[in-house]
Amino acid sequence: MRSDPDLAHAAARGSEAAFAELVRRHQAKVRGMARRLAGSEATGDDIAQATFFTAWQKISSYAGGTFSAWICTICWREFLQWRRRQKMEIEFDETAEIIPFDRSAEQAEQRMDLTRALESLSEAQRVCVVLCVATGLSHTEAAEVTGWPLGTVKSHVQRGVALLRTRLENANVA
Amino acid sequence: MREQDAYKDLSDLFRVEDNALPAEPFTRQVMGNVRRQKMMRRLVVGSLGLTGAAIAAMQLPQLFAEWAGVDKTVTEALTTAPTELSSAAVNQLSTLAMSNPMWLAIAAGASLCVFAVSAFERA
Repeated sequence: MRSDPDLAHAAARGSEAAFAELVRRHQAKVRGMARRLAGSEATGDDIAQATFFTAWQKISSYAGGTFSAWICTICWREFLQWRRRQKMEIEFDETAEIIPFDRSAEQAEQRMDLTRALESLSEAQRVCVVLCVATGLSHTEAAEVTGWPLGTVKSHVQRGVALLRTRLENANVA
Repeated sequence: MREQDAYKDLSDLFRVEDNALPAEPFTRQVMGNVRRQKMMRRLVVGSLGLTGAAIAAMQLPQLFAEWAGVDKTVTEALTTAPTELSSAAVNQLSTLAMSNPMWLAIAAGASLCVFAVSAFERA
């Protein structure tokens, strides 16, 4: 099986098949990340589409390393652009309030406990948990993707994971 | 222990959720956008190139006409040059002689010397 950097180099030379293979490999991770960040499946998929489209345009700038981290960085930027377009820009800090998603009660009911538990976290905690726990980036990679200090990312992940576990336990008990 | 090991159970839950997403329709949609963009780029670049080529082609007759004109001018210049040069030289010499006869004497002396040298060499 060809490695991600091999496929990326082939795609940079214009191979659509190589790029399609990269999309196949990473779409689940990127879509999951975008959906969880945006809080909507449709919007998340739109962001993921934009992410892969941008990745195709900038594939020649991929300089090796973890392809997951590279594509997640693009996804994060696409998410921020979408946020700016939505005029929902907020500061990501320790005191950030929980951002309620615009979703009907019926839709929310259908979602898994895991997703609902994730939505109950603060914005900054949710971002860090999505990047590190759900997407599988290391703390260092998540810090590079977001541009936040490593210590902040670690602390948000730690607190977010603890809260997530509590919420899941409560949901199971209930 | 790696940092990810602390929440591996949660990561597995998220991964199961993500892997349940159908890959093919999404991949087809992405590749469709990529092909559309490629086609648009080709169309834009191709049409711009064709426009440029058409403009260049329209300039060709004028370019050839001017090139033939230059060629004619050069030919004419080469043909008339000796006549013009000799008449110009005579004109300049007479002008020079009229303005200062000493130059005429110098020229005559030089000619005499050249003639003498050539006469002796023949002998």
